[in-house]
Amino acid sequence: MNKKQSHHGPQNEHGTVQSYVIGFVLSLICTFIPYYLVVEKIVTGNTLLATIVVFGFVQMLIQIVFFLHLGRGPKPNWNLFFFGSTFTIVLAVVGGSIFIIHNLNYHMTPSDKIKKLLNDENIQQIGGADTGVCGQTYESHIVTIKDGIVEPLQTEAKRCDTLTFVNEDEVEREITFGEHEDHEAYAGEIELPVTRGRNKTITLSEEGLYRFHDHLDPDISGYFTVQSK
Amino acid sequence: MSHERLEHHEAEATDRAMFGFWLYLMTDLLMFAILFGVYAVLHGNAIGGEEGRHLFSLPLALTETLLLLTSSFTCGLGMIAARLGKKKQVLTWFGVTFVLGLAFLLLEIDEFVKLIDEGQTPQLNAFMSSFFTLLGTHGLHITIGLLWIAATLGYIMKRGLNHHMVRKLAMLSLFWHFLDIVWIFIFTIVYMGAFV
Repeated sequence: MNKKQSHHGPQNEHGTVQSYVIGFVLSLICTFIPYYLVVEKIVTGNTLLATIVVFGFVQMLIQIVFFLHLGRGPKPNWNLFFFGSTFTIVLAVVGGSIFIIHNLNYHMTPSDKIKKLLNDENIQQIGGADTGVCGQTYESHIVTIKDGIVEPLQTEAKRCDTLTFVNEDEVEREITFGEHEDHEAYAGEIELPVTRGRNKTITLSEEGLYRFHDHLDPDISGYFTVQSK
Repeated sequence: MSHERLEHHEAEATDRAMFGFWLYLMTDLLMFAILFGVYAVLHGNAIGGEEGRHLFSLPLALTETLLLLTSSFTCGLGMIAARLGKKKQVLTWFGVTFVLGLAFLLLEIDEFVKLIDEGQTPQLNAFMSSFFTLLGTHGLHITIGLLWIAATLGYIMKRGLNHHMVRKLAMLSLFWHFLDIVWIFIFTIVYMGAFV
């Protein structure tokens, strides 16, 4: 046995009961602290994520030292060398991939993602197609434009009601929202062309007071207010 | 060969075998790292199903973690007993390790079955695919580890605790500690990460 011990150097590479107990207790601490932080929501968001990941790495180091006894074998320590190189590859390949794909993901907007955005932003329709934000529509309100006069000038509505613009004139109207030349989108609509004698309907999915006007004839304008149900 | 030279020869053979096994573990680590990378990229794509926070149970994940951590500890104690040549203790500690590992595996299978019953199958979306791939691969390793423990213990009971068996147990415990470390990251990233 003496020969074997001298071969392996003065340090004990296999660990003792004591080292396993220390490793076990430290691992438990590194399990319970992040668990407590997550359950109690003491910190949130990226701080919390960073904290629990750091605890994960600390626990990995603890187990590598106290359970795997890495770095305590005969010299030169090829195990440690290989672990180091593997870890470097992991950081480069996995870390790099996550970074790149996250970036790509951020810049792409597949249709499902658009749908989620529409829901978050309460946009009911895009280009006349229903997005399904309002499960159903309730009352219908009508704004008539005849001889260049908007009737009624102001419409009071509740969320998820519909508003129909009726154009009874012989010219095309381009209903836009916001002040003239300073347009804003309402419910995903930027501009609502209504040809002569026709009408267009929008669903009132955004709450607030809004102004609309005919982009081709800005004097023709009116308001509508949308209150919550 | 003298007795001393033979022992020296044995020790060198063990070192070589352990190094080879370590290389295998490092390639396994690469595989798990890539599966973690895939999960990190895809876990947000839960379209058509629930997000992680509505699917996972933190107390369950904590229980699984404690089972595996304790089994790693008892495995280490078994390894100390093996180096001291205490056969009975080896059987006890590795027996406990086996039971804890089996409890872990059953909990995990139960979780998988419940998820699939709820319609959260691996085919549902990218989140579920990456989840089942990562945890399934780990679970498969645990299953192999359990079979390995059972076979080694059976062998020791039959033939006794010799040099070769101690070497096998050393590899086995290395494997088991390694799986515990992988699980720490599953617990951190998959389970706790879902509630951040």
